[in-house]
Amino acid sequence: MSERTKHRWAMAIDLDRCTGCQACVAACHAENNLPLSDPESAAKGRAVHWIRVDRYYEGEFPEVKVKHMPVLCQQCDEAPCEPVCPVYATYQNAEGLNVQVYNRCVGTRYCGNNCPYSVRFFNWFDPVWPEPLQLQHNPDVSIRMGGVMEKCTFCIQRIKRAENDAKDEKRDVADGEIQPACAQSCPAEAMVFGDLNDPESKVSRMAGSGRSTRLLEELGTKPKVFYLQRGA
Amino acid sequence: MFRCLAGLLIVCAAGAMCAEQPVAFPHDKHIKLGLACIDCHIGADLRDRATIPSVQKCMLCHAKLLRNDAEVKKVIGYADKGIEIPWVRVYGFSTDAHVKFRHEPHYRAGIACATCHGDVAKMSVAEPVVKHDMGTCLTCHRQRNGPQDCAACHY
Repeated sequence: MSERTKHRWAMAIDLDRCTGCQACVAACHAENNLPLSDPESAAKGRAVHWIRVDRYYEGEFPEVKVKHMPVLCQQCDEAPCEPVCPVYATYQNAEGLNVQVYNRCVGTRYCGNNCPYSVRFFNWFDPVWPEPLQLQHNPDVSIRMGGVMEKCTFCIQRIKRAENDAKDEKRDVADGEIQPACAQSCPAEAMVFGDLNDPESKVSRMAGSGRSTRLLEELGTKPKVFYLQRGA
Repeated sequence: MFRCLAGLLIVCAAGAMCAEQPVAFPHDKHIKLGLACIDCHIGADLRDRATIPSVQKCMLCHAKLLRNDAEVKKVIGYADKGIEIPWVRVYGFSTDAHVKFRHEPHYRAGIACATCHGDVAKMSVAEPVVKHDMGTCLTCHRQRNGPQDCAACHY
């Protein structure tokens, strides 16, 4: 067990760098086989985006300032979604990931209702991809069926792959070796992923920065996504 | 007749498909001649998937050997037409299982092929003799102190 508790995965997002370009959203869709949506189902609140970019406007026209904030599953240490699941389909694993087990999920949607960040999504129907889009599915990620919840996994498939490669080569996972799809695609390099248990990792240093803050921290959810911005 | 029925029962127990293979490939004969599993099922040691060999692989030997054997003639037929042999899968997880099985870590841990696939070296027809369900996986993972986190396999 000790070997598996040595990592604590987290992310830091520098909001002063984010331009709101939505590359992370597109990359996440491609990497994680997210179901597609259409205007009607989106209007019913059924669109699935594991990461979204919230916009905040400051000031009056024409002196308007726009702030962007990518919001994904915050991988809370005290996750409100976990205790409400009657079937333990969502839980905190030894590496601090808030895991969603599709096989176990029975679709009560309690977790989604209890999430203060609204980053959990329910599959109302089996997903369909118009041909030939089904050919671009990522084989390392499950295709979720109708009736289950889903959410950002911190690209667990990439974490597992890197951990396995490191084990093959009898070494530790290097800082920066794992990049979730969103962080990889960010042209401003605003998103940094890494191990909080390593005090020298980039994410640890960013999390300890004076600019660091966490979303809805006052709720006591202890999120593992850190937002950096001036005046925080 | 009895053999087929027994095969069906095993198949139902293992939850895999049961069908005649397009070519009666005798695993036992090939192993006796000195081949190892990973000679044909390349990838089982270093990659995620233990692959099914291409007909070109068969032809590496059978371009010269046993050309007059009835079954080998079928193989040559596929190779001449340039199409793959439509082998029927013996083992495999359904997509509903949401399981991401990788061969390579199991090979690294020193798990023999026969642990999960039965003693194919003694089978003239590959049959699903080991039940591939979570009970089998977890029993072994507990005994050998493998990862037991749901997210180790399901994601």
